[in-house]
Amino acid sequence: MEYLLLIVSAVLVNNFVLSRFLGICPFLGVSKKISTALGMSGAVMFVMTMASAVTWCLQKFLLAPFGLDKFLQTLTFILVIAALVQLIDIVMKRFAPPLHAALGIFLPLITTNCAVLGAAVLNMKEGFGFFKSVLFGFSAALGFALALLIFTGLREKIERADPPRCFRGVAISLVTAGLLSLAFMGFSGLVK
Amino acid sequence: MNTIRSPYTFRGGIHPAYNKELAAGAAIRELPMPARLVVPMSQHLGAPAKPVVKVGDTVKSGQLIGEQNGFISAAVHAPAGGKVAAIENTVSASGRACLAVVIETDGSAERQTMPALKAWRGVDRKELAARIGEAGVVGMGGAGFPTRVKLSPPSDKPIDTVILNGAECEPYLTADHRMMIERAGEISVGAEIIRHVLGAKCLRVAIEDNKPDAIAAMEKAFAEMDGDVAVTVLKTSYPQGSEKQQIYSVTGREVPRGGLPMDVGCVVENVSTAYAVWDAVLNGEPLTRRVISVTGDAVSEPSNLLAPCGTLYADLVAACGGIKGKAAKIISGGPMMGFAVGSLDVPTGKTASGLLLLSASRVTAFTSQACISCGRCVDACPMRLAPAELSQFIEADDIEGAEGIALMDCIECGSCAFVCPARRPLVHHMRRGKAAVMAKRAAAKRG
Amino acid sequence: MEPIITSTLCVGGIGLASAAALAVAEKYLSVKEDPRINKVTEMLPGANCGGCGYAGCADYARKIVNDNVDLTLCAPGGSECAAAIAAFLGRAAGAVEKRVAIVLCCGDDTEAVRRAAYNGITDCAAAQATAGGDKGCTYGCLGYGSCARVCPVDAIAIVNGLAKVDKTRCIACGKCVDVCPRKLIKLVPAAAEIHVLCSSKDKGPAVKKVCGTGCIGCRICTKFADDGAIVMDGFLAVVDYTKRLTNEEVVAKCPGHCIRSDGAGNKETAAAS
Repeated sequence: MEYLLLIVSAVLVNNFVLSRFLGICPFLGVSKKISTALGMSGAVMFVMTMASAVTWCLQKFLLAPFGLDKFLQTLTFILVIAALVQLIDIVMKRFAPPLHAALGIFLPLITTNCAVLGAAVLNMKEGFGFFKSVLFGFSAALGFALALLIFTGLREKIERADPPRCFRGVAISLVTAGLLSLAFMGFSGLVK
Repeated sequence: MNTIRSPYTFRGGIHPAYNKELAAGAAIRELPMPARLVVPMSQHLGAPAKPVVKVGDTVKSGQLIGEQNGFISAAVHAPAGGKVAAIENTVSASGRACLAVVIETDGSAERQTMPALKAWRGVDRKELAARIGEAGVVGMGGAGFPTRVKLSPPSDKPIDTVILNGAECEPYLTADHRMMIERAGEISVGAEIIRHVLGAKCLRVAIEDNKPDAIAAMEKAFAEMDGDVAVTVLKTSYPQGSEKQQIYSVTGREVPRGGLPMDVGCVVENVSTAYAVWDAVLNGEPLTRRVISVTGDAVSEPSNLLAPCGTLYADLVAACGGIKGKAAKIISGGPMMGFAVGSLDVPTGKTASGLLLLSASRVTAFTSQACISCGRCVDACPMRLAPAELSQFIEADDIEGAEGIALMDCIECGSCAFVCPARRPLVHHMRRGKAAVMAKRAAAKRG
Repeated sequence: MEPIITSTLCVGGIGLASAAALAVAEKYLSVKEDPRINKVTEMLPGANCGGCGYAGCADYARKIVNDNVDLTLCAPGGSECAAAIAAFLGRAAGAVEKRVAIVLCCGDDTEAVRRAAYNGITDCAAAQATAGGDKGCTYGCLGYGSCARVCPVDAIAIVNGLAKVDKTRCIACGKCVDVCPRKLIKLVPAAAEIHVLCSSKDKGPAVKKVCGTGCIGCRICTKFADDGAIVMDGFLAVVDYTKRLTNEEVVAKCPGHCIRSDGAGNKETAAAS
């Protein structure tokens, strides 16, 4: 039950994109086509879950024992996440070149994605255990994927619609994102 | 022989104002032979016929002037005797360019026909089908699919039901209606020949319930016929005359997606086609004339004219007392599926069932607005498509996207555009999208 | 231990470990890609117009490097781009003739009659499919802007019911050529300044009936044009763009007023008047 609540809260109530406003860059950047959005979601899910696991170990076995967690957390986390993303980049280039080409610049950008760092830092703040950390990282990514896919679907439809001239392009996208965020606020209170 | 009230009707459809009273009472009149005929080589679906006469040749009435050019194609004959003045490109009523043989008629009564097959019951089925092909008979409901092809289904597709289409669901048009009343006997024999050629058990005459006089005439004509024969009375609804919708309304069978009527054991033939079959078999006459309704509120005398195929629309209008006032819109065919024409110098063909002249009061010049997502087009679509979404895809030039949601299943009946409160030209978008898909497929075939 | 030493060691250690992992992955998993492809992609204009026949600039670059595809296919880049790539790859360049699209019709709504009112969707192919188009001339520009909509650089504008190409913007990708249902748009050498802006193959009287600026097939221009640079295709004068046509006299002599010059001569006369 506790785990279920954790998932629901991370996916819907405290959705990373629409409630915490983390990871807006890929949210706006790769939401033009469903296929790219799916690839990005997959990549973020993988990176976030892995990052949660690795950073938890780092915190537990390296930073905490030496008393470095107060001031070195951000620095080391970014370092590890960057390395991890590079690794995924290399692997993906080798095994899924079309996906790699489709994600383009956004894959390296996960490196500086605040959502990934956010998940890792939140894990430590909440004092989650290893399993819970990994689960939280995964569900946060799930929430990200949900928001991204909904938004992409909407944008694909808007693409075919005929909005007033001043709203075309990014303007209408941002308005849509705002409305989507408002809609997700309806989930607040679902989990205490 | 009995009359069935059909328990089925297709989903969707609309109820436009039929306006059939304009010409429904006008008996069929024969048009005096025009001095000049422009006979298009493409009066049917498929490859245009190949002209077999030269400029300067003298042709006899009924002589072959265009030979069948491929499997899906049909022969074209001279509707009158005269001299071939030219073989030139013309724009057909549907707006496509096609080759036409121009005949200056000389009024000679000499006719060239094929031998009559009076004892057709003893003739081989294949021979009958071949004769119908030689006579250039095509589906006269609108699409112009060669009847010979319809009458030669592959042996693994047995036909058990022939449906004689007398629905004539297009508003204004009354040509088939008059044919059913005035040529009932000939139509019944033609239908019997079609059933005989196909070896089908059942024969159904499908008529909408807004034509009681036609129903009565057909009941009388088919009364003596043996076997499983019935007049099926259908609910009045547009597009009841569309093949797939009619098969469902009559038999309750649904033609599979991308399939043909023969996949569910049915063949649908128009009543006028049955008449042409009778003429071809019993008199050896090729199909060179048809009844065409010239109607609308901008015509002095709305009429049903028996006119040679190749008559210019201007001659038809003149025979009906000319234009009353000013015609704001001229449509070849019915108002739902017809083609707007830009001039009256357009020739008729085997599939031309009507010519509609409307005054400004009947034509609304409207500007289309943005889709309000009301979904009425989805309710109206007899093919169960989502026209609003399709048109949005096409407008955004996403032809693959539109194809993905079954653009090619659209029958262009116009129900969606008819009900659209935002007045969106949905069918026009569909036609453009379908043309783009066809062009893409043709390009892919060429490699 | 001093926190500063542990911190340094910690971060340094993580860095080293990550570097090692990456190095191993790079060695065993990396994909070899010709570095020249990226360089060539950068040298191409990056318009991704597809005019070369490949799916965007990167694809063309790959084909250039791997399959020795001709360097002259890129119209937007022109000769300089081809020369630069040739120098980089050590290949012979070949000259790219700078070309532009031109609409071979000058019958705008003032000059050419429309025989019917068309109120369907704003698309040339759709208008063409409706009773063969509303324009009196069956060859002329319908003016519903299908070409303007496909143009990736907004070089085409519809002025008074007639499509006009802005020579300075056109990158000769050829998209408009494909989309025109009446096949009125041609890619011509940018250096050519005199054009016969008519495509009607009809005879003189028929042309005159529907358009004030149509070619009536009088052949006068063929007499003034240098070295057979204008040839007759039936009743239509056609510029042979393989030859150089400079004699401005043909413009003045054309009784149909459909031979136009957009070069220096034209500017002078405009200034004079």
